[in-house]
Amino acid sequence: MEERDAIEETNNSAFGPLLLDVGISLLKAGASASRIKIVLSRLAEVYHYVPHITIGSSVISLVLDDSDGNMMFNRSRSTPVHGIDFNVISTISRLSIAAEEKKMTLQELEKELIKSQSPQRYPRIITLCFVGLAGAAFCYTFGGSYTEMLITFGATFCGLFVKQQLTKSNFNSYLCTYVAATTASFFVGLFHATGLVVSPIDAFSACVLFLIPGVLLINSFIDLIDGNTINGIVRLVNALIHILAIAIGLFTTIGILNLKG
Amino acid sequence: MAEWINILFKAFFCGCAALGFAILFNVQRKNLAIVWIGGVIVGLVKFSVLQYFSASIIFASFLASLTLGIYSLITAQRRQEPLIIFAIPSVIPLVPGVFAYRTMFGLIELTRSVGPDFSRTLSETVHNSVLTLFIVMAFSIGIVIPYLIGKDLLNKAT
Repeated sequence: MEERDAIEETNNSAFGPLLLDVGISLLKAGASASRIKIVLSRLAEVYHYVPHITIGSSVISLVLDDSDGNMMFNRSRSTPVHGIDFNVISTISRLSIAAEEKKMTLQELEKELIKSQSPQRYPRIITLCFVGLAGAAFCYTFGGSYTEMLITFGATFCGLFVKQQLTKSNFNSYLCTYVAATTASFFVGLFHATGLVVSPIDAFSACVLFLIPGVLLINSFIDLIDGNTINGIVRLVNALIHILAIAIGLFTTIGILNLKG
Repeated sequence: MAEWINILFKAFFCGCAALGFAILFNVQRKNLAIVWIGGVIVGLVKFSVLQYFSASIIFASFLASLTLGIYSLITAQRRQEPLIIFAIPSVIPLVPGVFAYRTMFGLIELTRSVGPDFSRTLSETVHNSVLTLFIVMAFSIGIVIPYLIGKDLLNKAT
């Protein structure tokens, strides 16, 4: 009986931080507040806890009660850097389902969670090439010619490369977006100045689209509609500042190269 | 080029754009094909509605994202994955880049001296900015509606 109590006590002290880890991983990966709540609640239910979760833009507060209403855990944790990683969201979501279905022990869950926190990323050159291809594809759908598509590919490639380098150096994310937008549009602007691009509008508007904060925008709508109003507003404002940074980047290029319509 | 071939080409490239964003967001390799198909669906619906029904671009974007939302909902449920994994990269081809650029360029033009073209630039800028805003709202709402309808269903499955 004493041994069982000791195991339960160990579980209580280990499960709270583990659950908080899961929440922080999801927040860092760009999951919406409702997704984080779904996963944490599901895991807490598997181990017979009642969770009370508060999610901020970069912080999670977690209170765990046992089934009798006694508080077992109460802590907050914050995370500084946010980068989008759908692999983490996908893996952790599936892990929570597996924990529910297979009735995983806490040790098994912890082992699987450590694996999911360091997911494989695509090689950098692959990412750069495919995002460049996405830029060229955008240019085509806007009505651009094959020359403009090629230039957009190069512009997107350079813009993303600069953004990745700046992000690695821990620069402010808005500044990264601004510099990347300026670089990408300047690349197109140079070709326009040499006369290779006659009407640069398609290439200009396509080359900065890789910077559009699509995840923030959609997540902010989901959060607002789900009732996580403050999170939704924070994400929306964040997205708007990124869009403003893109606009200022384009403005800089247009100003430097004195471009006309 | 026949119109339907042009639509197919544009849809193919919308799929490529979605694929690029899926790789940027680190979507798992096994899900990349689904995201590509999502992008193609978005392109097909948007450009077909614009071409054959002469509808406004706002309505076309809304319908395309609604179709994508339903597709993502069904796929997410089948594959036990969160809906946003499929929906967000595929919806990005609907971003109104040209209108946003024209808005921004118009604003820059407005900062220059007042000339005979000022009123025309002003009205065009307002028109482009309203279009940009409404297209973004239309495709966001188009994604969120299927999410809300299938929320309870999905929470159990994903």
